[in-house]
Amino acid sequence: MPIEDDLFEKLRVELRRGSLILAVLGALRVERYGYTLRQSLEDAGLPIEESALYPLLRRLEAQGLLTSEWREEAKRNKRFYRLSADGEAILAQLLGEWNAISDSILRLTEGK
Amino acid sequence: MANLQERYLHAVRRALPVAKADDIVAELRDVLATRQEEREDALDRPLTNDETAAMLKDFGHPLVVAAQYRKQQWLIGPDVYPFYWFVMRIVVLVIVGVDIATGIARFLFGNEQPLAILAQTWGSLWMSLLVNVGVLTVIFAVLERTGFPAEHVRKWTPEQLPAVEDKQKSVWESAFEVAANVLAILWWIGLIHLPWTGGNSEFRMEPAPIFAQLYWPILALLAVRLVQNLADWVRPGWRLLRGTLAVATTLVGLGLVAVLYRAGPPWAVVTPLAMPAQQAADLANSVNLGLKIGIVAVGVIWTWQGVQTLWRLVQGKRSAA
Repeated sequence: MPIEDDLFEKLRVELRRGSLILAVLGALRVERYGYTLRQSLEDAGLPIEESALYPLLRRLEAQGLLTSEWREEAKRNKRFYRLSADGEAILAQLLGEWNAISDSILRLTEGK
Repeated sequence: MANLQERYLHAVRRALPVAKADDIVAELRDVLATRQEEREDALDRPLTNDETAAMLKDFGHPLVVAAQYRKQQWLIGPDVYPFYWFVMRIVVLVIVGVDIATGIARFLFGNEQPLAILAQTWGSLWMSLLVNVGVLTVIFAVLERTGFPAEHVRKWTPEQLPAVEDKQKSVWESAFEVAANVLAILWWIGLIHLPWTGGNSEFRMEPAPIFAQLYWPILALLAVRLVQNLADWVRPGWRLLRGTLAVATTLVGLGLVAVLYRAGPPWAVVTPLAMPAQQAADLANSVNLGLKIGIVAVGVIWTWQGVQTLWRLVQGKRSAA
């Protein structure tokens, strides 16, 4: 049983890895800083470790999908992230792909 | 408490890329401060030192946190690993083959203690493995960074694969041949010394001048045979190259055998040091008789191997067609 749990956890992590990028891009259609982004993901049922979220934001920014700027809020400097124009285009493509995959999986698992 | 957070951030900073360190640490400082405030609000009191430590531990080991910001997440990734493993197997098998063959040769023909040979072979084997595995890993880590094997994977075609009918040698047979060839080259160029070849305190044994005259042709033949063995092993689909090399090495090898046979005897010159002259002459006769038989045997074996290799290639080509 523990082996099965372990296996399920590994597969779950693999499954979530790609979808988290989609979730982050989707959530950043509205400008957010790390903490509020994480909160919104958690509220939507997609919790993510901070140690994974911040490097992911950096990578997406380096790929030109996000823009960021430092601004003061609540008496502290915070880095705000937002989807770039390129990011919006990629997000639209990825959502199309996501929906196609979802439809395929549904057809494969529900059909007799 | 603040001190603990600063120590943590300092540890993360040390492992970050220098150019981005300030920016990343500033963001992490804000993240940790927010997390701390969140917990303090929930508890309605400041965090204790232990609670701060637990919070930082929960955030992750500084090296792990910093590593996630690096472009390179692994030394050898899944794209390069199959090629790394393929080459590693060949290198390891050749090293094991060379070291074991050297050890066996020293045991059979030398006058050293078997335990000493075993200990030295064991030590030399591990040292060779460590050095070669290390060097190979560094090479493939560099290839990983330069984008290999994307180009190779893009260029390969199914036609390059060996035909199913190709009778490939086993990995051990191929490794043994390559190892024996490497060993022969190292011996020929004088990098390894076989103890029975120079004589002992009673006599000195030297090769006849014909061997010096044939030094470069024999070295070239050994080198080409090494290429042939490697091609047989890792590129069985390269029929034309393998066939050409098989014919070339067989013909050149037989030519050299013929030249050697005509030049002798003696192929080995025995000079007595503390041995009666008659005994030295008898020894020379025995050694040269052995060499005569050996030269004829090599000629026969090479002819047989050459015919066999060509037969295999021709047969494989017919089947593939």
